Amino acid sequence: MKIFLLVISYLVYAAFWGRFISHAFIWCKGTRQFRTGPLHISGVSLSLCLVTAIDLLFFRRLFNENKVLWIGSWTFHVSFILVILRHLNYFFYPVPSCITHIQPFGLVAGYILPVSLFYLLAFRIAGRKKYFSYHNFFLLGMVLLISLSGLLMRMFFSPNLVDVKSFMLGILTFRPDLLPDSSLFFIHFSLVLLLVPFLPLHIFAAPVVTMESGRREAGLRMVIHDK
Amino acid sequence: MTNKNSKFKKNKSPFSKGLTPLQLIELDACTQCGECLKYCPVQEVTGNLAVSPPEKIRMFREFIKATEGLKAKLFNPKDIDRKLLEEFTKAVYECTTCGACSQNCTVGIFTQRLWPMLRKEMVRRGLGPVGTQAEMPGVIKKTGNPYNKPPEDRFKTWFPDDVKVYEKADIAYYAGCTGAYEAQPMVRGDIQVLNAIGEQFTMLPPEEEVCCGFPLFITGQHDMLEDLTRRLVGAYKAKGVKVLLCSCPCCVNIMARDWPVFYGKELPFKIRHITQFVADAIKHGRLHFKRGLKERIIYHDPCYLSRGVGVIDEPRAVLRSIPGIGLLEFERHGLNSRCCGAGGAARKVFHENAVAIGRLTIDEAVDKGADRLVLSCPACYVKVNEAMQGHKKQIKIVDIMELVAEIIKDKNTEFNSQESK
Ligand code: SF4
Ligand code: SF4
Repeated sequence: MKIFLLVISYLVYAAFWGRFISHAFIWCKGTRQFRTGPLHISGVSLSLCLVTAIDLLFFRRLFNENKVLWIGSWTFHVSFILVILRHLNYFFYPVPSCITHIQPFGLVAGYILPVSLFYLLAFRIAGRKKYFSYHNFFLLGMVLLISLSGLLMRMFFSPNLVDVKSFMLGILTFRPDLLPDSSLFFIHFSLVLLLVPFLPLHIFAAPVVTMESGRREAGLRMVIHDK
Repeated sequence: MTNKNSKFKKNKSPFSKGLTPLQLIELDACTQCGECLKYCPVQEVTGNLAVSPPEKIRMFREFIKATEGLKAKLFNPKDIDRKLLEEFTKAVYECTTCGACSQNCTVGIFTQRLWPMLRKEMVRRGLGPVGTQAEMPGVIKKTGNPYNKPPEDRFKTWFPDDVKVYEKADIAYYAGCTGAYEAQPMVRGDIQVLNAIGEQFTMLPPEEEVCCGFPLFITGQHDMLEDLTRRLVGAYKAKGVKVLLCSCPCCVNIMARDWPVFYGKELPFKIRHITQFVADAIKHGRLHFKRGLKERIIYHDPCYLSRGVGVIDEPRAVLRSIPGIGLLEFERHGLNSRCCGAGGAARKVFHENAVAIGRLTIDEAVDKGADRLVLSCPACYVKVNEAMQGHKKQIKIVDIMELVAEIIKDKNTEFNSQESK
């Protein structure tokens, strides 16, 4: 089982990067014609940087569109990132101080995450007549299961954290260690492995597009207006 | 010749070729949130989810994945079901390319540019365009316009006799095919207003003022675009033109955004929409309204004028300067305006959609209590007029320059006008 999980972990990890790199190749292959010329793209100014930063950090575009969805989506993304950062704890020895400092925030985020996921799922189900993405639904469900299993471990069925850490470090250092004796951990870890191949590429692509859209919108007044 | 075998191979060939790197990233950036659907006019009248932005993006992503993804690289590209490709083609052509989804995308995907490029790919694969759109290149080659009308008649029926066109001038006016053949009151208005301003202007002879290329561009048929652009740009350059004026938002769009690409460098003149020129003339006292119009009017922003090139304030400035006028706004206006249904060269092929969308605009204008619906696009002008035929709600429809021309011309007009105080 130990070796099996280990092999699967590496395969999943390799598949994730393989998928990303193959997509990056596709992105680069695009035609050079019709790249919007400098005429219609605003230069980089302080105000543009500020707007872009707000766009990226606070999902301004989503906020403008739908505040009900924004609350759930923003809370989900922030708590998800904090939980991931908190988990870096298990991948480092010694643990860098920045990760130590994040722990309390990550802990709180661990409680908020499933709440935001329930909220988003309810939102999706309520609005399913308009447009329903099964892929998104599946992803939300997976993350919810992962976060609930994590929460259960945190609150009631804590595995031996030393075992967890040496298992994770074992994976990282190619020196496999014993799988912690906790079925909940096994479920939690397997679900994460299952999730990775399905991670949407918009986590990489959307920030690029949002940044570019800020420049494009700022440049709209330059298309046929005097500069 | 396309035999079964070559079609088979074609369905396996890459889909990413005609898109820019940014557009390929945009396809992956869609979160499938579905927020843009509430702004899509085609959704409003058909509810057809296949036409929705996330669905079109998802399908195209699947095509790329099947032919160029990791699995396709490691094993073999999948042959995509031809029926699926045909369904996608219909969906991408049913869209009006209005760009409302782009404006409201939670990520910021520039769909107003993306859809025409996806159409281009379907043309490359022999699946697009749809219906009569396929005849356009041949017709334009023969007549210089997509309506198969005699080139020598281009200005005949509408050009005012009393207006002088100069051989050479700093300013040139381009009427455009839709205005010249299908929305004559609009282009006549343009000329009358230009004449009233008193600025000398030039035009190309009717046979030389060929299509700007927009109908070909928007239907993904790009083969003739370079030639058309070079012909027009060369002809205006020879006349020493510094500013090219046009009232059609679609023409203005391709001239400003794409002509430099097809021409290979920056254009030797500026492109301006007629409302920019007229608003400036009013501001600097070169055009006065001696009388006004006591009416409530509502102005509709054409998608390719507002979202396309950012001309939003100037038409309003022109209308506000008419004494007595009360300017109303649609719920969705400016950058967020709703398409009139005519966009994307879909108005002839998906006529019913276009009429139904046009009626949404008419209904809102009537419900707001407007006396008149003011447009500033020849395609909107034709389609909204068509949509009004047989519709229970009726409103007077006028083009912005047609309205201005009527107000500035002699006192005995048929307009319900009053002397300005
Ligand atoms: S461009 Fe307009 S018609 Fe086409 S999908 Fe977007 S909103 Fe709908
Ligand atoms: S709003 Fe943008 S990201 Fe969301 S579904 Fe529409 S196109 Fe995709």
